[in-house]
Amino acid sequence: MNHLIDDTIPPFDDAAHEREWLAQERAMRRERLQLDPAGDDARGRRYRAVARALREPLAEALPADFAQRTAGLVATAQVQRAPSGTRFEFALTLVLAAILTLAAGVVTAIYGSAWLPSFSAILPAPHAPASGWLLALAGCLGASWLLGLWQRRGHG
Amino acid sequence: MDDIRNNPDRDLVDAVLAHRPGAFERLVGEYQGLCWHIIQRMVRNPEDARELCQDTFLRVHQCLHQYRYESALKSWIGRVAYTIALRHLQHKRIPLAGNGDGDEGALVENIGDGFDLEAACANAETVQQLHAAIESLPPLQRTLLTLYYLEETPIPEIARITGLASGTIKSHLFRSRLRLRGVLETRTGVAA
Repeated sequence: MNHLIDDTIPPFDDAAHEREWLAQERAMRRERLQLDPAGDDARGRRYRAVARALREPLAEALPADFAQRTAGLVATAQVQRAPSGTRFEFALTLVLAAILTLAAGVVTAIYGSAWLPSFSAILPAPHAPASGWLLALAGCLGASWLLGLWQRRGHG
Repeated sequence: MDDIRNNPDRDLVDAVLAHRPGAFERLVGEYQGLCWHIIQRMVRNPEDARELCQDTFLRVHQCLHQYRYESALKSWIGRVAYTIALRHLQHKRIPLAGNGDGDEGALVENIGDGFDLEAACANAETVQQLHAAIESLPPLQRTLLTLYYLEETPIPEIARITGLASGTIKSHLFRSRLRLRGVLETRTGVAA
Protein backbone atom coordinates (compact mmCIF):
# COMPACT_ATOMS: atom_id res chain seq x y z
CA MET A 1 0.00 0.00 0.00
CA ASN A 2 1.27 3.41 -0.93
CA HIS A 3 2.47 5.50 2.06
CA LEU A 4 2.98 8.63 -0.01
CA ILE A 5 -0.66 9.31 -0.82
CA ASP A 6 -1.49 12.88 0.12
CA ASP A 7 -4.80 13.21 1.98
CA THR A 8 -5.23 16.92 1.23
CA ILE A 9 -7.67 17.77 -1.55
CA PRO A 10 -6.33 20.79 -3.45
CA PRO A 11 -8.74 23.54 -4.61
CA PHE A 12 -9.23 24.19 -8.34
CA ASP A 13 -7.21 27.05 -9.83
CA ASP A 14 -10.39 28.39 -11.45
CA ALA A 15 -12.64 30.06 -8.84
CA ALA A 16 -15.80 29.25 -10.85
CA HIS A 17 -14.86 25.56 -10.91
CA GLU A 18 -14.24 25.56 -7.17
CA ARG A 19 -17.67 27.19 -6.58
CA GLU A 20 -19.28 24.55 -8.80
CA TRP A 21 -17.42 21.80 -6.89
CA LEU A 22 -18.70 23.17 -3.57
CA ALA A 23 -22.24 23.21 -4.99
CA GLN A 24 -21.82 19.54 -6.02
CA GLU A 25 -20.56 18.62 -2.55
CA ARG A 26 -23.33 20.52 -0.78
CA ALA A 27 -26.00 18.83 -2.91
CA MET A 28 -24.48 15.41 -2.20
CA ARG A 29 -24.53 16.04 1.56
CA ARG A 30 -28.09 17.42 1.49
CA GLU A 31 -29.32 14.46 -0.54
CA ARG A 32 -27.57 12.04 1.84
CA LEU A 33 -29.38 13.70 4.78
CA GLN A 34 -32.62 13.85 2.74
CA LEU A 35 -33.09 17.55 3.52
CA ASP A 36 -35.99 19.53 2.05
CA PRO A 37 -35.18 20.53 -1.58
CA ALA A 38 -36.88 23.87 -0.91
CA GLY A 39 -33.57 24.95 0.62
CA ASP A 40 -31.68 24.28 -2.65
CA ASP A 41 -31.25 26.54 -5.64
CA ALA A 42 -31.81 25.29 -9.22
CA ARG A 43 -28.19 24.12 -9.53
CA GLY A 44 -28.35 22.28 -6.20
CA ARG A 45 -31.58 20.54 -7.15
CA ARG A 46 -30.08 19.27 -10.39
CA TYR A 47 -27.06 17.93 -8.52
CA ARG A 48 -29.41 16.32 -6.02
CA ALA A 49 -31.16 14.51 -8.88
CA VAL A 50 -27.72 13.32 -10.01
CA ALA A 51 -26.90 12.21 -6.44
CA ARG A 52 -30.19 10.32 -6.15
CA ALA A 53 -29.46 8.38 -9.34
CA LEU A 54 -25.91 7.61 -8.20
CA ARG A 55 -27.06 6.37 -4.80
CA GLU A 56 -29.41 3.79 -6.30
CA PRO A 57 -28.17 0.20 -5.82
CA LEU A 58 -26.76 -1.50 -8.91
CA ALA A 59 -29.25 -3.55 -10.91
CA GLU A 60 -27.13 -6.73 -10.77
CA ALA A 61 -25.81 -8.23 -7.54
CA LEU A 62 -23.67 -11.12 -6.36
CA PRO A 63 -25.56 -14.35 -5.55
CA ALA A 64 -26.85 -14.57 -1.97
CA ASP A 65 -24.55 -17.52 -1.17
CA PHE A 66 -21.43 -15.90 -2.66
CA ALA A 67 -19.57 -15.62 0.68
CA GLN A 68 -20.39 -19.20 1.63
CA ARG A 69 -19.35 -20.55 -1.77
CA THR A 70 -16.09 -18.58 -1.87
CA ALA A 71 -15.17 -19.65 1.68
CA GLY A 72 -16.00 -23.26 0.71
CA LEU A 73 -13.75 -22.99 -2.34
CA VAL A 74 -10.84 -21.78 -0.21
CA ALA A 75 -11.42 -24.50 2.41
CA THR A 76 -11.52 -27.25 -0.25
CA ALA A 77 -8.32 -25.97 -1.86
CA GLN A 78 -6.61 -25.94 1.54
CA VAL A 79 -7.70 -29.47 2.43
CA GLN A 80 -6.57 -30.80 -0.95
CA ARG A 81 -3.26 -28.98 -0.88
CA ALA A 82 -2.14 -29.42 2.74
CA PRO A 83 -2.30 -33.21 3.30
CA SER A 84 -0.98 -34.20 -0.11
CA GLY A 85 1.95 -31.78 0.24
CA THR A 86 2.77 -32.86 3.80
CA ARG A 87 2.41 -36.55 3.00
CA PHE A 88 4.78 -36.26 0.03
CA GLU A 89 7.36 -34.34 2.07
CA PHE A 90 7.13 -36.86 4.92
CA ALA A 91 7.59 -39.83 2.57
CA LEU A 92 10.55 -38.12 0.92
CA THR A 93 12.18 -37.47 4.32
CA LEU A 94 11.68 -41.10 5.34
CA VAL A 95 13.23 -42.41 2.11
CA LEU A 96 16.18 -40.04 2.49
CA ALA A 97 16.74 -41.02 6.14
CA ALA A 98 16.63 -44.74 5.23
CA ILE A 99 19.17 -44.27 2.41
CA LEU A 100 21.51 -42.27 4.67
CA THR A 101 21.29 -44.84 7.50
CA LEU A 102 21.96 -47.68 5.11
CA ALA A 103 24.90 -45.84 3.54
CA ALA A 104 26.35 -45.04 6.98
CA GLY A 105 26.06 -48.70 7.99
CA VAL A 106 27.74 -49.92 4.79
CA VAL A 107 30.58 -47.35 5.06
CA THR A 108 31.17 -48.21 8.74
CA ALA A 109 31.18 -51.95 7.95
CA ILE A 110 33.71 -51.55 5.11
CA TYR A 111 36.04 -48.82 6.38
CA GLY A 112 35.20 -48.72 10.12
CA SER A 113 38.15 -50.87 11.18
CA ALA A 114 40.54 -48.30 9.61
CA TRP A 115 39.26 -45.05 11.16
CA LEU A 116 37.29 -45.99 14.29
CA PRO A 117 40.43 -46.45 16.44
CA SER A 118 41.61 -42.92 15.48
CA PHE A 119 38.27 -41.47 16.65
CA SER A 120 38.34 -43.30 19.97
CA ALA A 121 41.86 -41.94 20.53
CA ILE A 122 40.82 -38.28 20.21
CA LEU A 123 37.63 -38.66 22.29
CA PRO A 124 38.09 -37.41 25.87
CA ALA A 125 38.27 -39.95 28.67
CA PRO A 126 34.99 -40.31 30.62
CA HIS A 127 36.43 -38.57 33.68
CA ALA A 128 38.36 -35.82 31.86
CA PRO A 129 37.35 -32.13 32.68
CA ALA A 130 36.47 -31.49 28.98
CA SER A 131 33.72 -34.12 29.14
CA GLY A 132 31.68 -32.01 31.52
CA TRP A 133 31.86 -28.99 29.19
CA LEU A 134 30.93 -31.13 26.21
CA LEU A 135 27.92 -32.45 28.10
CA ALA A 136 26.91 -28.87 29.02
CA LEU A 137 27.22 -27.79 25.35
CA ALA A 138 25.11 -30.74 24.25
CA GLY A 139 22.53 -29.82 26.92
CA CYS A 140 22.39 -26.19 25.68
CA LEU A 141 21.97 -27.26 22.07
CA GLY A 142 19.22 -29.71 23.03
CA ALA A 143 17.41 -27.10 25.13
CA SER A 144 17.44 -24.46 22.36
CA TRP A 145 16.23 -27.05 19.83
CA LEU A 146 13.35 -28.02 22.13
CA LEU A 147 12.53 -24.34 22.75
CA GLY A 148 12.45 -23.68 19.00
CA LEU A 149 10.16 -26.65 18.52
CA TRP A 150 7.82 -25.42 21.25
CA GLN A 151 7.71 -21.87 19.81
CA ARG A 152 6.96 -23.15 16.30
CA ARG A 153 4.09 -25.24 17.65
CA GLY A 154 2.76 -22.24 19.62
CA HIS A 155 2.66 -19.95 16.52
CA GLY A 156 1.60 -22.59 14.03
CA MET B 1 2.26 -0.62 17.42
CA ASP B 2 -0.71 0.26 19.67
CA ASP B 3 -2.58 1.39 16.55
CA ILE B 4 -2.23 -2.11 15.13
CA ARG B 5 -3.39 -3.74 18.38
CA ASN B 6 -6.43 -1.43 18.60
CA ASN B 7 -7.23 -1.73 14.88
CA PRO B 8 -10.89 -2.78 14.50
CA ASP B 9 -9.94 -5.08 11.60
CA ARG B 10 -7.42 -6.93 13.77
CA ASP B 11 -9.80 -9.57 15.20
CA LEU B 12 -11.18 -10.52 11.80
CA VAL B 13 -7.74 -10.67 10.17
CA ASP B 14 -6.33 -12.75 13.05
CA ALA B 15 -9.30 -15.11 12.90
CA VAL B 16 -8.85 -15.65 9.14
CA LEU B 17 -5.10 -16.19 9.51
CA ALA B 18 -5.72 -18.69 12.32
CA HIS B 19 -8.18 -20.55 9.99
CA ARG B 20 -11.01 -20.16 12.52
CA PRO B 21 -14.25 -21.67 11.18
CA GLY B 22 -16.52 -19.11 9.51
CA ALA B 23 -13.95 -16.28 9.72
CA PHE B 24 -13.19 -16.05 6.01
CA GLU B 25 -16.89 -16.28 5.12
CA ARG B 26 -17.48 -13.35 7.50
CA LEU B 27 -14.73 -11.35 5.79
CA VAL B 28 -16.18 -12.07 2.33
CA GLY B 29 -19.68 -11.18 3.54
CA GLU B 30 -18.44 -7.89 4.93
CA TYR B 31 -16.54 -6.73 1.84
CA GLN B 32 -18.30 -8.41 -1.09
CA GLY B 33 -20.48 -5.33 -1.65
CA LEU B 34 -17.44 -3.08 -2.00
CA CYS B 35 -15.73 -5.49 -4.40
CA TRP B 36 -18.88 -5.88 -6.46
CA HIS B 37 -19.31 -2.11 -6.74
CA ILE B 38 -15.71 -1.62 -7.86
CA ILE B 39 -15.51 -4.56 -10.25
CA GLN B 40 -19.02 -4.31 -11.73
CA ARG B 41 -18.55 -0.59 -12.39
CA MET B 42 -15.15 -1.22 -13.99
CA VAL B 43 -15.92 -4.25 -16.20
CA ARG B 44 -19.75 -4.00 -16.53
CA ASN B 45 -20.21 -7.59 -17.72
CA PRO B 46 -21.96 -9.34 -14.76
CA GLU B 47 -20.47 -12.78 -15.53
CA ASP B 48 -16.93 -11.41 -15.69
CA ALA B 49 -17.57 -9.29 -12.60
CA ARG B 50 -18.72 -12.32 -10.55
CA GLU B 51 -15.65 -14.29 -11.60
CA LEU B 52 -13.31 -11.40 -10.82
CA CYS B 53 -14.94 -10.94 -7.40
CA GLN B 54 -14.15 -14.55 -6.63
CA ASP B 55 -10.57 -14.08 -7.87
CA THR B 56 -10.31 -11.04 -5.62
CA PHE B 57 -11.23 -12.96 -2.47
CA LEU B 58 -9.00 -15.90 -3.39
CA ARG B 59 -6.16 -13.40 -3.73
CA VAL B 60 -7.13 -11.71 -0.46
CA HIS B 61 -6.99 -15.10 1.28
CA GLN B 62 -3.62 -15.85 -0.29
CA CYS B 63 -2.04 -12.49 0.60
CA LEU B 64 -3.75 -11.54 3.88
CA HIS B 65 -0.58 -12.36 5.85
CA GLN B 66 1.04 -9.45 3.98
CA TYR B 67 -1.55 -6.94 5.28
CA ARG B 68 0.31 -4.57 7.65
CA TYR B 69 -2.58 -2.37 8.91
CA GLU B 70 -1.13 0.66 7.11
CA SER B 71 -4.61 1.41 5.76
CA ALA B 72 -8.11 0.21 6.61
CA LEU B 73 -8.81 -3.39 5.59
CA LYS B 74 -11.60 -2.00 3.38
CA SER B 75 -9.06 0.03 1.39
CA TRP B 76 -6.64 -2.90 1.16
CA ILE B 77 -9.33 -5.26 -0.17
CA GLY B 78 -10.69 -2.51 -2.43
CA ARG B 79 -7.19 -2.07 -3.84
CA VAL B 80 -6.98 -5.80 -4.62
CA ALA B 81 -10.38 -5.66 -6.38
CA TYR B 82 -9.42 -2.51 -8.31
CA THR B 83 -6.10 -4.01 -9.45
CA ILE B 84 -7.77 -7.23 -10.63
CA ALA B 85 -10.45 -5.29 -12.54
CA LEU B 86 -7.81 -2.98 -14.00
CA ARG B 87 -5.78 -5.94 -15.27
CA HIS B 88 -8.95 -7.35 -16.86
CA LEU B 89 -9.60 -4.07 -18.69
CA GLN B 90 -5.98 -3.92 -19.86
CA HIS B 91 -6.23 -7.50 -21.10
CA LYS B 92 -9.41 -6.64 -23.03
CA ARG B 93 -7.82 -3.37 -24.23
CA ILE B 94 -10.65 -1.29 -22.80
CA PRO B 95 -9.55 2.29 -21.99
CA LEU B 96 -9.83 3.14 -18.29
CA ALA B 97 -10.53 6.87 -18.41
CA GLY B 98 -11.96 9.04 -21.18
CA ASN B 99 -10.73 12.41 -22.30
CA GLY B 100 -12.43 15.54 -20.95
CA ASP B 101 -15.17 16.99 -23.14
CA GLY B 102 -13.73 20.49 -22.94
CA ASP B 103 -17.12 22.21 -22.60
CA GLU B 104 -17.00 22.49 -18.82
CA GLY B 105 -16.71 26.28 -18.87
CA ALA B 106 -20.03 26.64 -20.71
CA LEU B 107 -21.78 24.25 -18.35
CA VAL B 108 -20.39 25.91 -15.24
CA GLU B 109 -21.70 29.29 -16.44
CA ASN B 110 -25.08 28.07 -17.71
CA ILE B 111 -27.85 27.02 -15.41
CA GLY B 112 -31.56 26.74 -16.06
CA ASP B 113 -34.02 28.69 -13.92
CA GLY B 114 -36.29 26.25 -12.21
CA PHE B 115 -35.98 22.56 -11.54
CA ASP B 116 -38.52 20.40 -9.75
CA LEU B 117 -36.42 17.70 -8.09
CA GLU B 118 -39.30 15.41 -7.14
CA ALA B 119 -40.96 15.70 -10.56
CA ALA B 120 -37.66 15.00 -12.33
CA CYS B 121 -36.96 11.95 -10.16
CA ALA B 122 -40.50 10.68 -10.70
CA ASN B 123 -40.14 11.06 -14.46
CA ALA B 124 -39.09 7.64 -15.75
CA GLU B 125 -37.63 9.09 -18.94
CA THR B 126 -35.40 11.56 -17.07
CA VAL B 127 -34.22 8.88 -14.63
CA GLN B 128 -33.53 6.48 -17.49
CA GLN B 129 -31.58 9.14 -19.36
CA LEU B 130 -29.54 9.90 -16.24
CA HIS B 131 -28.74 6.20 -15.74
CA ALA B 132 -27.80 5.85 -19.40
CA ALA B 133 -25.44 8.82 -19.01
CA ILE B 134 -23.86 7.19 -15.93
CA GLU B 135 -23.41 3.94 -17.86
CA SER B 136 -21.82 5.79 -20.77
CA LEU B 137 -19.10 7.26 -18.52
CA PRO B 138 -15.64 5.67 -18.82
CA PRO B 139 -14.91 2.82 -16.31
CA LEU B 140 -12.76 4.94 -13.99
CA GLN B 141 -15.28 7.77 -13.69
CA ARG B 142 -18.15 5.30 -13.11
CA THR B 143 -16.18 3.56 -10.39
CA LEU B 144 -15.14 6.79 -8.65
CA LEU B 145 -18.75 8.03 -8.57
CA THR B 146 -19.99 4.71 -7.19
CA LEU B 147 -17.34 4.64 -4.47
CA TYR B 148 -18.10 8.25 -3.56
CA TYR B 149 -21.90 8.08 -3.60
CA LEU B 150 -22.93 4.47 -3.02
CA GLU B 151 -20.11 3.33 -0.74
CA GLU B 152 -19.74 6.82 0.77
CA THR B 153 -15.96 6.41 0.64
CA PRO B 154 -14.05 9.67 1.31
CA ILE B 155 -11.63 10.91 -1.39
CA PRO B 156 -8.42 9.99 0.57
CA GLU B 157 -9.71 6.40 0.92
CA ILE B 158 -10.55 6.29 -2.81
CA ALA B 159 -6.99 7.46 -3.40
CA ARG B 160 -5.70 4.44 -1.43
CA ILE B 161 -7.92 2.07 -3.40
CA THR B 162 -7.09 3.43 -6.85
CA GLY B 163 -3.57 4.74 -6.24
CA LEU B 164 -4.60 8.07 -7.82
CA ALA B 165 -3.86 11.46 -6.28
CA SER B 166 -6.74 13.12 -4.39
CA GLY B 167 -6.63 16.09 -6.79
CA THR B 168 -7.04 13.77 -9.79
CA ILE B 169 -10.02 12.05 -8.17
CA LYS B 170 -11.58 15.42 -7.37
CA SER B 171 -11.14 16.49 -10.97
CA HIS B 172 -12.75 13.28 -12.31
CA LEU B 173 -15.69 13.59 -9.91
CA PHE B 174 -16.17 17.23 -10.81
CA ARG B 175 -16.22 16.62 -14.57
CA SER B 176 -18.47 13.56 -14.32
CA ARG B 177 -21.03 15.34 -12.16
CA LEU B 178 -20.96 18.35 -14.44
CA ARG B 179 -21.55 16.08 -17.42
CA LEU B 180 -24.49 14.41 -15.66
CA ARG B 181 -25.94 17.80 -14.76
CA GLY B 182 -25.58 18.60 -18.46
CA VAL B 183 -28.02 15.76 -19.23
CA LEU B 184 -30.62 17.43 -17.03
CA GLU B 185 -29.89 20.84 -18.57
CA THR B 186 -30.45 19.42 -22.05
CA ARG B 187 -33.81 18.05 -20.94
CA THR B 188 -34.87 21.40 -19.50
CA GLY B 189 -33.64 23.24 -22.58
CA VAL B 190 -30.45 25.00 -21.44
CA ALA B 191 -27.67 24.99 -24.00
CA ALA B 192 -24.57 23.30 -22.68
